[in-house]
Amino acid sequence: MQASRARLFKEYKEVQREKVVDPDIQLVCDDSNIFKWTALIKGPSETPYEGGVFQLAFSVPEQYPLQPPQVRFLTKIFHPNVHFKTGEICLDILKNAWSPAWTLQSVCRAIIALMAHPEPDSPLNCDSGNLLRSGDIRGFQSMARMYTRLAAMPKKG
Amino acid sequence: MDSEDDMLDAESVDDFYSGDTATDSDNDDGADYEFMGNDSDDSDDIAVSRQQKNYTVLEEAEIRRHQEDDITTVSTVLSIPEVAASILLRHYHWSVSNVHEAWFADEDRVRKDVGLLEKPVVEYSNARELRELTCGICFETYPLDRINTAACGHPFCSACWTGYISTSINDGPGCLMLRCPDPSCGAAVGQDMVNMLASDEDKEKYSRYLLRSYIEDNRKTKWCPAPGCEYAVEFVVGSGSYDVTCLCSYGFCWNCTEEAHRPVDCGTVAKWILKNSAESENMNWILANSKPCPKCKRPIEKNQGCMHITCTPPCKFEFCWLCLGAWLDHGERTGGFYACNRYEAAKQEGVYDEAERRREMAKNSLERYTHYYERWATNQSSRQKALADLQQMQNVHLEKLSDKQSQPESQLKFIIEAWLQIVECRRVLKWTYAYGFYLPEHEQAKRQFFEYLQGEAEAGLERLHQCAEKDLQTYLSADGPSNDFNDFRTKLAGLTSVTRNYFENLVRALENGLSDVNSQGACSKTTSSNSVGGGSKGKGGRGRGAPRSGGPSRNSDDSSGWSCDQCTYLNVGSPTECQMCHQRRQNT
Ligand SMILES: [Zn+2]
Ligand SMILES: [Zn+2]
Ligand SMILES: [Zn+2]
Ligand SMILES: [Zn+2]
Ligand SMILES: [Zn+2]
Ligand SMILES: [Zn+2]
Ligand SMILES: [Zn+2]
Repeated sequence: MQASRARLFKEYKEVQREKVVDPDIQLVCDDSNIFKWTALIKGPSETPYEGGVFQLAFSVPEQYPLQPPQVRFLTKIFHPNVHFKTGEICLDILKNAWSPAWTLQSVCRAIIALMAHPEPDSPLNCDSGNLLRSGDIRGFQSMARMYTRLAAMPKKG
Repeated sequence: MDSEDDMLDAESVDDFYSGDTATDSDNDDGADYEFMGNDSDDSDDIAVSRQQKNYTVLEEAEIRRHQEDDITTVSTVLSIPEVAASILLRHYHWSVSNVHEAWFADEDRVRKDVGLLEKPVVEYSNARELRELTCGICFETYPLDRINTAACGHPFCSACWTGYISTSINDGPGCLMLRCPDPSCGAAVGQDMVNMLASDEDKEKYSRYLLRSYIEDNRKTKWCPAPGCEYAVEFVVGSGSYDVTCLCSYGFCWNCTEEAHRPVDCGTVAKWILKNSAESENMNWILANSKPCPKCKRPIEKNQGCMHITCTPPCKFEFCWLCLGAWLDHGERTGGFYACNRYEAAKQEGVYDEAERRREMAKNSLERYTHYYERWATNQSSRQKALADLQQMQNVHLEKLSDKQSQPESQLKFIIEAWLQIVECRRVLKWTYAYGFYLPEHEQAKRQFFEYLQGEAEAGLERLHQCAEKDLQTYLSADGPSNDFNDFRTKLAGLTSVTRNYFENLVRALENGLSDVNSQGACSKTTSSNSVGGGSKGKGGRGRGAPRSGGPSRNSDDSSGWSCDQCTYLNVGSPTECQMCHQRRQNT
């Protein structure tokens, strides 16, 4: 508990400094609980998520960083490896490939990479996975873009 | 049971008999009547190997020694540290030759796959880094003496290493493949670092995983599946029978790790076990250990190993546990002797109405299955009981008997031999019922030959079991030495060898797939309608099993046969001595 708190505090200080360095990620610690974080990430360019801003919720276990944090999308996203209803993310580094040398910041980077490179073979969102697997890239992209516009872009007017 | 010759010792057989006719060893019919394994002085060693050994049982110290030897070999040949050799071997399923082959084919590739770096990937040069480094997990800065690295050089503090290693060890045997915590790095973390950084408890767990891996990931070794047994078996693949007897006395099949099941093959065993679990809900009533006495209807619990049950006073009705028929009917006259194996038996006698009713109902497949299952399960529990009796005999009764009869314990080994034989026979007999269940109905000749062999074997076993269980009681409860103790010795030893012979025939025949049966099956000259071997369906013109060889044969002409006083074998064509036990024919 003490070790995880100390480590999270280090990350917190690092985040304050890095804000300018990585403009695609904005990590925020909960005011009252250092084990709860949220992040805003920008959809990567040249993807259907471009232009969208996606919110992630982190729940950090007491054994952190020996155990990985739990992360999910709060913003609706159409992606083969993200559960459409719960926002749960299927990503190996959040499960058995976790390393304690990862940080919340590097997890965000890995999620951005996953948005750019979906893994249709381990889908949490079957509709989306099937579109990609059947080779219907255009169908997938228009669905993903539609949800980006609906859920991840600031409403105008 | 092919080659047990090396276990035999003709001289000690003579000790038992001092010239008794039953040991007459110049019989030339190829059957061996010697006793197994009695050259061993270790009378409480009930694990008597009956085969040429194509396996070795390893205890923990030996496993560790083998493992260390392999590690040393690889370390020497490849000129690498032992901890690296251990990591390599683990990666190649503990095959020394595979490690050597892969290494000499492409050392660089192997090093990369396994994570054995030759030099660090991170180097420190500036003055500050030579004094202190930042841990990659807790991000705190520490003096160098509190920082540890794998071969790669990625720095982590001791406390973080301990936590990292502990998490991995408590996640399971995957800890044997542990790598540097840096996600970009594949450097292996071996036992040297574990021993340096983990808690004592974790070190012990790791060392157990390493030992287990040596057995479990190795194609040539398996753990003994007996509950609580810690021995492993190393097996020479491709060398005949899969049956293995562990030092704990548990016999199992190396191939499928089920309990030893000769003469039935692994596939049949798997099917049978699946069948049993599927049917088990219907089978509950069979598992119940009591049946109503056929005469007085009081529930009787079977607590002795043999099938001859005597109801409690005042009823005292003697009946057969299997068919609930009167024990009187299980005599020579009915052709049943002590046997009660065949659910199609006895129609010709019309005595077993119950059995006949069952036979009719056998059209129903559950009923048919029930027949085989019940006998399978009964032999299973008889075997358990016999095992317990054997222990009891070794631990308690033998000494008592020795005192009562003024016989040195070394001269009472024939009793242990008898019980060992009973245990083994119950095992074989049990599996013959799975065999029978899967023997196709339409292969009439085979079925009948099978039932004939099974009947012979079962009858022999019942005689032996009775003698070892009930006859022995007389001598155990005697007031002093009995005059006829030597007769008992001769009888029990004779029955043991005769029964072994029956069972060897049975196992051989079943393992050959009953290939001795003339598949035309029309020949009827060697069996009679009344003998055990008959198995007639009572329908005219149906072919009968015609054993060519491999089983004791019986002639159709009852009048020319005679029953041996000693072993009750029904002899034909051998006017002076019993074909089975070589007892001289008594004048009648
Ligand atoms: Zn640390
Ligand atoms: Zn490393
Ligand atoms: Zn064992
Ligand atoms: Zn098997
Ligand atoms: Zn009764
Ligand atoms: Zn019976
Ligand atoms: Zn005889």
